Amino acid sequence: MIVSNARLLADFTETFWFPESASTFSAEVDSTYMMVLWICILFMVPITFCLFYFSFKYIKRKGEPAESQVSHHTVLEVAWSVLPCFLLVLMFVRGSIGYIDQRKAPEGSDTVSVKAFKWGWTMDYGNGVFHPELHLVVGRPTKLTMRSSDVIHSLFVPAFRAKKDIVPGRYNEMWFDPSIASVKVSDEKLAAAKAETKEKFANVFDPERYQFTEDGYTYFDLYCTEYCGRDHSKMQTVVVVHETDEDLKAWIKKYSGRPEGTTPADYGALLYSRRGCASCHSIDGSKRVGPSFQALFGTEHGLVSGENVKVDENYVRESILEPKAKVVAGYNPVMPAYKGQLSDDDIESIIAYLKSLAPTAAPATTAAAAP
Amino acid sequence: MSTTNVLNPGYASDSENYLKNSTGILSWMFTLDHKRIGIMYLIGILSAFALGGALALAIRAHLLEPDGTLFTNDQYNQVFTLHGAIMVFLFIIPSIPAALGNFLVPVMLGAKDVAFPRLNLCSFYLWVCGAVFFICALLGSGLDTGWTFYTPYSTTTDTSVILATFGAFVLGFSSIFTGLNFIVTINTMRPPGMTWFKMPLFLWATYSTSIIQVLATPVLGITLLLLIAERTMKIGIFDPEYNGDPVTYQHFFWFYSHPAVYIMILPAFGIISELIAVHSHKHIFGYRFIAYSSVAIALLGFLVWGHHMFTSGMSALTTIIFSALTFTVSVPSAIKVFNWIATLYKGSISLTTPMCYAISFIFLFTIGGLTGLFLGVLSVDLHLHDTYFIVAHFHYVMMGGTLIAFLGGLFHWWPKMTGRMFSELGGRISCLIVFIGFNMTFLPQFVLGSRGMPRRYATYDPEFTLLHQWSSYGSFILGMGLLLAGIVLVVSLYNGKKAPSNPWGAVTLEWQCTSPPPFYNFARPPVVGDPYDFHDLRWDALTENYVIDTPPRKVAPETLPLGTPAHAGGQD
Repeated sequence: MIVSNARLLADFTETFWFPESASTFSAEVDSTYMMVLWICILFMVPITFCLFYFSFKYIKRKGEPAESQVSHHTVLEVAWSVLPCFLLVLMFVRGSIGYIDQRKAPEGSDTVSVKAFKWGWTMDYGNGVFHPELHLVVGRPTKLTMRSSDVIHSLFVPAFRAKKDIVPGRYNEMWFDPSIASVKVSDEKLAAAKAETKEKFANVFDPERYQFTEDGYTYFDLYCTEYCGRDHSKMQTVVVVHETDEDLKAWIKKYSGRPEGTTPADYGALLYSRRGCASCHSIDGSKRVGPSFQALFGTEHGLVSGENVKVDENYVRESILEPKAKVVAGYNPVMPAYKGQLSDDDIESIIAYLKSLAPTAAPATTAAAAP
Repeated sequence: MSTTNVLNPGYASDSENYLKNSTGILSWMFTLDHKRIGIMYLIGILSAFALGGALALAIRAHLLEPDGTLFTNDQYNQVFTLHGAIMVFLFIIPSIPAALGNFLVPVMLGAKDVAFPRLNLCSFYLWVCGAVFFICALLGSGLDTGWTFYTPYSTTTDTSVILATFGAFVLGFSSIFTGLNFIVTINTMRPPGMTWFKMPLFLWATYSTSIIQVLATPVLGITLLLLIAERTMKIGIFDPEYNGDPVTYQHFFWFYSHPAVYIMILPAFGIISELIAVHSHKHIFGYRFIAYSSVAIALLGFLVWGHHMFTSGMSALTTIIFSALTFTVSVPSAIKVFNWIATLYKGSISLTTPMCYAISFIFLFTIGGLTGLFLGVLSVDLHLHDTYFIVAHFHYVMMGGTLIAFLGGLFHWWPKMTGRMFSELGGRISCLIVFIGFNMTFLPQFVLGSRGMPRRYATYDPEFTLLHQWSSYGSFILGMGLLLAGIVLVVSLYNGKKAPSNPWGAVTLEWQCTSPPPFYNFARPPVVGDPYDFHDLRWDALTENYVIDTPPRKVAPETLPLGTPAHAGGQD
């Protein structure tokens, strides 16, 4: 009975302090945290007791002398200076060992390269497959090689208890070994969520709303934790942990190009939200970091160099691959280059999508009208 | 004839009272009197605090809902940046050293003024100048970099980074001048008989603080100038686009800003040492350990800046060394807490308003200090870094520590500064409300942080809503408590009882002149003994004042200074 109560209490304190524990690091970090917590309680309780007990016990009338005027006690003072140091050493050593474990990825880890930008993530799964979500396999150590194309970001997965800054101008690495797999929700639930999204939320699927991703997996939160500007708090994505390697491969395959039966314009719209265009280019005409895509194609606009340029297929292509070559007047040259990251078909799809957003667009190329 | 004299200076005459001996705005603007400069600082920093506090309440109000209630993301980023920058640069750093320190250091030394009165006035005007730059930044295009100005964000954003950093640069000089002044004053102007170990502990704390101010602040100045150079001339230092390194900026910045944390907290330790001893009417326990621990903190504080950068990608060895050094700083802080509690033991405690604030300081600071251990433990820090845990931790230290100590000190020395007693009941109630509101605001943030809520988020995931709301409601209570404290003090100016020279029963020198002190502080260098020897202190019910019995003493010179200052026509 007592044992089970103690276990209940332990469960309660764990879930009170921490998010779900989903990597091989979590147990160690959590138990180190609880150790430090108990050490703090060990100090806090007597300090608080003495503080308030003395403060009330020794209240005296004005002018009444103190019972004691002792000014020091060297043995006592040396004792309370030196003894806590042993606890400090214990905490330091345990923390450092845990840190070293998180520092070096084991040989043969899977790797994913991560690009962080204002305000989104692109994970590179090789073979030209890029996606904002981070997908892993349970029990497989995975190393992230991370770079930033603008300012400092930081990748944080609370459920994995792991975090690392992403500093422009260098590659930072981190690794973890997920211990719990995501669960796939039932097809009906997914279909219902998708239908509702299409109906009410302009087809922008928000995993937060349903607690599962567009592909129907439950997920762990991934946050940016280094302040990076306007949409810092929106710079979130999800981590999905697959049961098996085959499952992950199947998921990657699904995103390895334009699926059959999808029009270029529709696929362009997907790329627009998936590859980070949306964070800087609106489709409703509002000005963000970059020019809006609304009714952009076919117009003419001024560049910082003073020249004018017509927004045609070649200009869009150049602006995706080498954004700094021709910068629109009134904007800063901050867009990262997508050279080598988009296939010809991808670029063609984005162009088709842009055309679909322009009022003069030929109806033949736009099967689905823009939202 | 009795063999002892009673030390009771009575009340200052209007012509001697430093507040009244000359009038007119110019007599304040061009004053060289350290007490008037201290009062001007006090008004300045309290205005800054009111502004920073209003921004803080706006932040908490915004975070009542996951999607935010008041601001757009851009506005939120500017509000939290200004809250941080104003609180750090305009309020906390100058709060105790410049406002209370200016008033107290010379009086505690029995001196007539600081060593360099003109430099002192200059440092005040530099503060004003820095504040004007900040206000210009606020009215211009705002500032959205966070108070840390991290590159390359700060070199690429469109907001008024240059105005604000230049403001911080100027404020740095203000801080350096104050520190320099105090170092020279304490070294050269101690009265006969006041050896280093007969100084009140507030002076030890001020001295340690001043050393940090003089040694560390220039590094901030250089860093901010480099940042401005990079922004205006595209010189590659921090921005990788010009072959710079952003982590270099973090090293430079924290080399100042970590010691600056001790600029903020050390003077608070000094105040608490005074408050606990005086209101317990008992010799401070372990004087030397407290004094040495101040110096130890000042020196060790220079070696631990790297713990702000555990996740930045420093080498493993560097990171582990910084972690080890970080733990060493906790020892001298712990020593102080133990000594304060030992001082309470068997004392003769008066639970006055300043004492209530001192007790809540010890409680809050202990939480602040202990939660620092979580962040020093490397593996745990990787989880907690840049989450609300950090926010809670440094508010417990900076606000629960420095601000509460500042308030305690303000209530403690208020009768000395203004010559008025405040309502004890009002003061104690304000302390209780502040204490409750503070814990309600920041305790939930520890849990938010360990559950993974990142800091500096304008919007947040719905699972964090409840804790955020508790925190917000707590902050409103906290705001009301602080407002009440302000009202109690302001009301005392109009209908407070006239303050006696020594209302609390202290034996340091500032309580041996009238309240408020005459413009010359002391007619003659006072006799100096142990600043915590309460044996000769006696409560005199007739004058409602504590008096000190002193042995008879021959005074020299025998003539007293003139009753009116020279600039008010006192010379002839």
